[in-house]
Amino acid sequence: LLINFAVLKGGEDKITVTWGLNQTVAAGTDSTYKTIKVKLCYAPISQVDRGWRKTVDDLKKDRTCQHKIVARPYNPANNTAQSHEWTVERDVPTATYFIRAYAYDADEKEVAYGQTTDAGRTTNLFQVQAISGRHVTVDTCSICFSVFSVVSLFGFFYNEKRNAKRPQ
Amino acid sequence: MEIEGQATVKESHPPKFALPVDSEHKATEFRLFSVAAPHMRAFHLSWVSFFACFVSTFAAPPLLPIIRDNLNLTASDIGNAGIASVSGAVFARVAMGTACDLFGPRLASASLILLTAPAVYFTSIASSSTSFLLVRFFTGFSLSTFVSTQFWMSSMFSAPVVGTANGVAGGWGNLGGGATQLIMPLVFALIRDIGAIKFTAWRIAFFIPALFQTLSAFAVLIFGKDLPDGNFRRLQKAGDKTKDKFSNVFYHGITNYRGWILALSYGYCFGVELTIDNIVAEYFYDRFDLQLHTAGIIAASFGLANIVSRPGGGMISDAVAKRFGMRGRLWALWIVQTLGGVFCIILGRVGSLGPSIAVMIVFSLFCQAACGLTFGVVPFVSRRSLGLISGMTGGGGNVGAVLTQLIFFKGSKYSKETGIMLMGIMIIFCTLPICFIYFPQWGGMFCGPSSSKIATEEDYYLSEWNSEEKEKGLHLSSLKFAENSRRERGRKQDCETRPVDETPSTQV
Repeated sequence: LLINFAVLKGGEDKITVTWGLNQTVAAGTDSTYKTIKVKLCYAPISQVDRGWRKTVDDLKKDRTCQHKIVARPYNPANNTAQSHEWTVERDVPTATYFIRAYAYDADEKEVAYGQTTDAGRTTNLFQVQAISGRHVTVDTCSICFSVFSVVSLFGFFYNEKRNAKRPQ
Repeated sequence: MEIEGQATVKESHPPKFALPVDSEHKATEFRLFSVAAPHMRAFHLSWVSFFACFVSTFAAPPLLPIIRDNLNLTASDIGNAGIASVSGAVFARVAMGTACDLFGPRLASASLILLTAPAVYFTSIASSSTSFLLVRFFTGFSLSTFVSTQFWMSSMFSAPVVGTANGVAGGWGNLGGGATQLIMPLVFALIRDIGAIKFTAWRIAFFIPALFQTLSAFAVLIFGKDLPDGNFRRLQKAGDKTKDKFSNVFYHGITNYRGWILALSYGYCFGVELTIDNIVAEYFYDRFDLQLHTAGIIAASFGLANIVSRPGGGMISDAVAKRFGMRGRLWALWIVQTLGGVFCIILGRVGSLGPSIAVMIVFSLFCQAACGLTFGVVPFVSRRSLGLISGMTGGGGNVGAVLTQLIFFKGSKYSKETGIMLMGIMIIFCTLPICFIYFPQWGGMFCGPSSSKIATEEDYYLSEWNSEEKEKGLHLSSLKFAENSRRERGRKQDCETRPVDETPSTQV
């Protein structure tokens, strides 16, 4: 698998992922592969103190790879270099990542995978800088409504004082 | 510092009320579906505004899966923000109690609500773990409107129904903590479906609780009245109100040991409730591998039980008081809260999903009923410093929440289930001091009323005023309250000591 380095910006930058069957394995190993799913996975440094991204052996409970990049049906006849260009989506959080491609069989069971990093998941990592999600409009409204709340309170105080002076 | 005290209304202009009232013009009946001014209107205004504050304070937890990715939060950041959200109110509640004594519940609560609304609006602008912690901290101050709610109800409703009024108002306000777990994900989904991206949608969603909070404060200011006869300021200018000194109110509040005992015990019913609000969704999610929204629904049901459990506690308090007086209120509180502790221990031990949910619901019923029962006792601890005692008790609730989260739910020292079990044990221990509460005129859990001559309701409440103050007539409303509180002797005692001389309810 090949990817670009540098900090990628959510919503803007692109990743080109290329994957293919390791040519050194015995022929016929890929006969059960039906779909390939390529996913964005959290590197260990981004899993620290974040239990919702934990790596667990049982794949059903594993939360390492939460963002799907692409899913393609697998054709054993064409088992060399496939590639896909993906724009980093706007809901991808700021973190350090690697990429993994899973091969699934006809029963949607994972049968093989490959990844852009080593077994300890320490090399060849890249970072994504997420969008903030903030908007000038939202910011302005927040400030205006806040000021309005406080000012109206003092308006009420002033009104109270005036009314208290009037006879009942 | 000069402050407004209780109102002594001149009988020259007796106003008409929709509900039957006593000599202080407090309602002796509680009619839930009425909005009649001033009593029931005050009730609806206070519970709705308190509900809004709860919705705001716990609006973040259900959206955390999105927020934690947007702001790059760690589990520690989230835990600290959770503790911050309940710690602000520790002192704010005590301050609120005093503010109610000084300025009246209407201005005190509306001021706090409008001053904390900016924190909710600014949640939309949060961009780091620090800013997130700060907005949760300041938003949490709004939970001290609990005290103004209880103070207001204690000022509007008479002894036979004060437990019910306090329980329903408190319970329906606390409901906000459960409702928000359902509301916020729905609002978020709606905004996202309209077209906003996730990291923007949650920010916009926070405008809903913020606006709700602002509008409820306006309603309180426009439609509410501090006392059955009017607002503090106007009554004061017309000469119908007495002034009291802050230092005296403070002194008589903090020197009353019963206030401290109730503050401790409230920390282990309400404090536990707040802790559970913060941790239970994660507990079910992790232990039973549920989907986040399923865990959220279960979490919501804990808070939603408040619709009946806390009012139920208040009603039990009033019902028990009819027959057994204050002693009954104390026994009921101790029994219910201790049982809450027992079910908490069981919850920590249960390992399968269905029974766990069932035990959690039973636990919530007892825990929240204990909250209602506590505020069946609080109105009688002091008359002069009612606000401060309410504030101390309320503040104690938040201290309990901070303590339990710090001891049992921070970091990985205990698994959540062990933490829950240990919390249950702590509940049982911290409920025992209730056995030491003793009123000379009514008795305590294990002792009957004092047989000495200076042990009547008047003696107890007037002991808060010295002879100088009595000469100035500052104590008159305490006197009225003392008369009305004679009911706390219970039916048996009352018949023995006062066969015919019952204080009648004034019907106007």
